[in-house]
Amino acid sequence: MIAVAVLAAAAIALPLVVANRFAIDIAIRVLLFAFIGVAWNLMGGYAKQLSLGHAAYFGLGAYTSTILLIRFDVSPWLGMLAGGVVAMLASLPIGALCFRLRGPYFAIATIATAQVMMLLFLKFRDFAWGAEGTTIPNLGDDPLMMQFDGKAAYYYIALALLAVGLFITHRIERSWMGYYLVAVGEDEDAAEAIGVNALRIKRQIYMISAFLTALAGTFYVQYIYFIDPNTAFSFNISVEAALVSIVGGIGTLWGPVLGTVLLETLSAFLQSWLGSGLGGVQLTVYSLILMAVILWRPAGLIGFVSDAWKRLAPAPAAPVEARDG
Amino acid sequence: MLVTLAQAVINGLLIGGIYALVSIGVTLIFGVVKIVNFAQGEFVMIGMYLSFFLATRLGVDPLASLLLTMPALFVIGMLVQHFLIRRVLALGDMPQIFLTFALSLLLMNVVLLLFSANYRTVQTHYTEAALHLGSLYVSVAKLIAFAVAMALSAVLWVFLRATDLGKAMRAAAQNRDVAMLMGINPDRVFAVAVGVALALAGAAGSLLMPFYPAYPLVGQVFVLMAFVAVVLGTLGNVTGALIASLMMGVAESLGIQFVGADSGLIVVFLMLLATLAFRPNGLFGGWTR
Repeated sequence: MIAVAVLAAAAIALPLVVANRFAIDIAIRVLLFAFIGVAWNLMGGYAKQLSLGHAAYFGLGAYTSTILLIRFDVSPWLGMLAGGVVAMLASLPIGALCFRLRGPYFAIATIATAQVMMLLFLKFRDFAWGAEGTTIPNLGDDPLMMQFDGKAAYYYIALALLAVGLFITHRIERSWMGYYLVAVGEDEDAAEAIGVNALRIKRQIYMISAFLTALAGTFYVQYIYFIDPNTAFSFNISVEAALVSIVGGIGTLWGPVLGTVLLETLSAFLQSWLGSGLGGVQLTVYSLILMAVILWRPAGLIGFVSDAWKRLAPAPAAPVEARDG
Repeated sequence: MLVTLAQAVINGLLIGGIYALVSIGVTLIFGVVKIVNFAQGEFVMIGMYLSFFLATRLGVDPLASLLLTMPALFVIGMLVQHFLIRRVLALGDMPQIFLTFALSLLLMNVVLLLFSANYRTVQTHYTEAALHLGSLYVSVAKLIAFAVAMALSAVLWVFLRATDLGKAMRAAAQNRDVAMLMGINPDRVFAVAVGVALALAGAAGSLLMPFYPAYPLVGQVFVLMAFVAVVLGTLGNVTGALIASLMMGVAESLGIQFVGADSGLIVVFLMLLATLAFRPNGLFGGWTR
């Protein structure tokens, strides 16, 4: 609890202390991808429904708010919620199809749905600008339209999104739903046998996860002032959502945050060291880290942090919990 | 109209033969080892780069280089099974999916670092050659690729039925525990299965090289097709994967011809989604009998 308060205070203070735009930009990316990871983790981590197609919802959120903004002058704040609802609704038919498959083939079917979405938005030019995409009109400093001078405001929005995601995860973790999710994730048939409606619980968590991912999509296009199908439905979004969770610790509250902090900081250092010209370095390093984690620490790196925390602040009465590994 | 249709079907069948080599590999590994190899497409890519360098540095014809790429990828497959896949077999879905997924990302990006994103092509004397049947046009390079792909599939079919090792593989696919009780060594059978699957991917790479450019992400084109074909053809069913691959080649080609140049993939993905909706277990029964 104290640790969380300290962390939150540090996160809130950061833009006041750090003035470097580049550093704040990295911090915004960290918060945003941590949030996407948290959204993915609800479904992929707790219920072990390993989606590789969350870009579908990221893109739907991005396009919904942008279309509402440009065509109907609707504020992206409303557009963000609308995008969340659209993503939630889209997750129902997509889930109905994909949940027929389990494990790796669920993952493949989700890749296909995100790809179909991208191809559709590439194809329908008059509906959503096609492959060229569009820039988001710059209205100057207009908080009601989610546009700000300077980066601090964006930073706090991303921080708020992450806080919401973590709070929801925390509540679900400690509810019946959390236990059902873990039961389905451990063994779907056994969960069904003891009376868990696996399909319903998967559908519900998919809706929540899709909703949150769509919020990130709206925020992202508002932040970079540009949208096209290749950005909005980028496979890299789907991959990174899963990757940060797995590296950090799948099915844990703080795992995606830890994973994002590690991977994004590393990638920022690699980029400033090697320059952005050398394509492939970032993903080469990511994939090596992912392999190493899977082979030696499949529970994720969060274990190291909680071990260290226990050593620093030993709980006097509670018995020491046995950890894996 | 009829000529256009026939032409589209021919083009689809020819490329479908290549899809078949990739998807047979995926379904073989899935059937025997119970792992989906997300990196299968990257081994096609490696086969292509091997053929490319053999052709440009040593002057080996891409089709002849098949005799080198297949054994090379067979050995790589045994190593991948021994050092990577074997270690996650007892673990859950997450490690099993993301290990080969990480391998796929790694291979793509290492090749990108080493050889850049440039397209590499090999010109052979038959690259532009074509047979004309009436008003139909058949590319010689694609026809050879198709014929070799079908021949290799036939060899695999015989191997799975007529040899002890092949029978052991089918036994392990049907019931791993009983197969082990019958004295089958799973490590050996699994290593051979992955080796054979990767050798087929390598063959696909060599066969593609005379008419298809090599680049770091090229494997993604083929692996997505293979995944759809494997679901369509029923998981683990070799004959099913073969037939589904040919169907998908034709569907893609018809999509390109009649819906629009960028619609081939949409047609294929819609086929996948329709299959999931109506025949989630695929079009064919269990393991090939």
